[in-house]
Amino acid sequence: MRKWSWMTILVAVMLLVSACGSNSSGSQHNKQQSNGGNSGSEAEKQDVTLSFIHWRGEDVEVLDGIIAKFEQEYPYIHVETQVFPSDQYQSTAQAKIADGSVGDVFTVFPGAQFQAIARAGLFTDLTGESFVEHFEPNLIAAGQQDGKQFALPYQLVYNIPIYNVALFEQHQVEVPLDWDSFLAALEVFKQAGLTPIAFPGADIGPGQLMNSMVMNNAPDEDIFVKLEAGEAKLTDEWWVKTLAQFKELNDKGYLQKDAVGAKQDSSIALFVQEQAAILGTGSFHLASNKASNPNLKQGLLAPITVSADEAVYEGIHTTTFMLAVNSKSKHTEEAKLFIEFLSRSDIAAEYANGTGQNVTVKDVEYTSEELQIVSEWTTKHTRFQPRFTISNGEVQKAVTNSIQAVLSGVSAEQAAAEAQAIVEQQIGQ
Amino acid sequence: MKKHLRLLPFILPGLVLYAVLFMYPTISALYYSFTNWDGLSPSYQYVGLQNYVKVSEDIIFRKSLGNNVKFMLTVVLIQTVVSLLLALQIYKKSKLNVFLRALYFLPTILSSVSVGFIWTFIYDSNLGALNKLLQIIGLESLAQNWLGNPGIAIFSIAAVQAWAHIGQMAVLFVAGLQSIPAEIKEAAILDGASQTGLFFRITWPLLAPAAAIVVSYTTIQSFKAFDLVFTMTGGGPNYATEILSTYIYSSAFLNYAFGKAATASVYFLLLIAVITFLQFKLLRTDRVSY
Repeated sequence: MRKWSWMTILVAVMLLVSACGSNSSGSQHNKQQSNGGNSGSEAEKQDVTLSFIHWRGEDVEVLDGIIAKFEQEYPYIHVETQVFPSDQYQSTAQAKIADGSVGDVFTVFPGAQFQAIARAGLFTDLTGESFVEHFEPNLIAAGQQDGKQFALPYQLVYNIPIYNVALFEQHQVEVPLDWDSFLAALEVFKQAGLTPIAFPGADIGPGQLMNSMVMNNAPDEDIFVKLEAGEAKLTDEWWVKTLAQFKELNDKGYLQKDAVGAKQDSSIALFVQEQAAILGTGSFHLASNKASNPNLKQGLLAPITVSADEAVYEGIHTTTFMLAVNSKSKHTEEAKLFIEFLSRSDIAAEYANGTGQNVTVKDVEYTSEELQIVSEWTTKHTRFQPRFTISNGEVQKAVTNSIQAVLSGVSAEQAAAEAQAIVEQQIGQ
Repeated sequence: MKKHLRLLPFILPGLVLYAVLFMYPTISALYYSFTNWDGLSPSYQYVGLQNYVKVSEDIIFRKSLGNNVKFMLTVVLIQTVVSLLLALQIYKKSKLNVFLRALYFLPTILSSVSVGFIWTFIYDSNLGALNKLLQIIGLESLAQNWLGNPGIAIFSIAAVQAWAHIGQMAVLFVAGLQSIPAEIKEAAILDGASQTGLFFRITWPLLAPAAAIVVSYTTIQSFKAFDLVFTMTGGGPNYATEILSTYIYSSAFLNYAFGKAATASVYFLLLIAVITFLQFKLLRTDRVSY
């Protein structure tokens, strides 16, 4: 019996040693791989299989067509695509690309995920590559860090509520340009028995609508950077005012009943059935709304939370689906060729018109009505999505959760104070 | 010794699987809990007990722990009581009882992610079946924002967890009830025991091993109920349904703080070990003898 106990201890000790040792050997391996990372040019014309990972399941058909063209042009390169649901992608992509076996070309979200991958040194620096010039220079900043272009945003999204143009016309409501006229417009819809704003408060709503609600309350584009640096607080006027305005919308019945428990499916259903005048999400729902109700006439409308003369920004944009080359890849040259191919204006147009997504590439011609609605916004004064300037995931959650708190009845001051306490713990103050 | 060596091939596969799939990750988690590893970078630093102090002071960790206790108590209470009541009705052998056992067991075979999605629709405050049903039967005043009200969201999920596993626990109780020798009950009835007396003095004490399994299994199961919370609320609204497993998940995969997540896992492991130990002591499973 005693011998068995000793054996158990021995096994445990061996496991402990291997557990402790595994990381150092792993990092050694990684170093060796990264040193040999640029062997693609030597292996030119040899058959290469590129792994491409992303989260846009709905774009697979269009991308497959584009990949077929790419493989025709470069017959020695074969592209294998793996797609993950976006929430899963946020959590697992890093682990998958870490050893370089998958994701020679990968996509990345701006903000927390971009920062984490940059910290881990998994990006190949794309600065100076000729294809970088194919992109609108002001739309690729989200993929830059310390003056280096690590990733190239491909999609352009406006995180601005969508409104039903026909309902606005029917009730003779003009697009509001300040907070008072916004509230007056919502009151008209409420009196008409409609839901003024369909707001998915349980999932994506707070993270989307907060952007346009805060953009003019805190015109400083670095406000959340300052929050994480401890130089600004959620208890300051800019955020308390934003929360109070969210509360006002809820308390006056301008959001649907029990909005904080509503998921996006039910909110979208309200909007596409024309029972709600505004959908509190973003331009990424324009195409799917239209597919559900072809008669829907849609536009984008950002709530202006200040008086018209104080308004600095007209809306919010996000550049996302950022294309990057894995620094651990053995085929970096081929990976760059693939990004170059995707960044050609005719290919980007094929992607945009096929998927209903606007792109950051120059000289792209949009054919669909929804894409034209969005492209009108490129000339307006918008700012990059403030939520994505928060690099700490828990800070981001504390911010959006404070919106859920006010919608549940907590005062703006208390919700802000509770969120600030979490922020301070996260940033180590 | 020779005899032991001959037996080794029989236990080796199990031992290897246990070592690789359970002990190795557990020891790794313990190791990483003393580091500030972000889950990606090849390098990290040892931070000693810093993670343990930080996590124990973390507002979200404390909220998660509180929610977990509420969730566990609700699930343990509903699941044990209801499954015992059901088992008492269906433990006798008859065709109807066999059918009912299968019927009650049905939710257990559904994937918990599917259960989560189904109940999310049922609970929807505007379009959901539950509020509509309450409206139809004239109990509109009881209609709630089931998953959106921070005061009740955790209990709404606990009810789903119990619903999904009551049949499974009832089967365990049925097995326990069927293993109680009939002559003991007959003797008690002959001695004039009432139905209540029979239950509390004969059935319940002899059911202790089954009850211990049900209670400890339910406790552990409800502590690690990640999938239901993840699919139904994602921990919201405003952390009202954040539990330890979702806290660990978001620390590791959304906030890239693997060291912190590993520390929370170690606390989690210790907590479950202590609770299970106490439950077995309190239920006195070792004292059952016929």
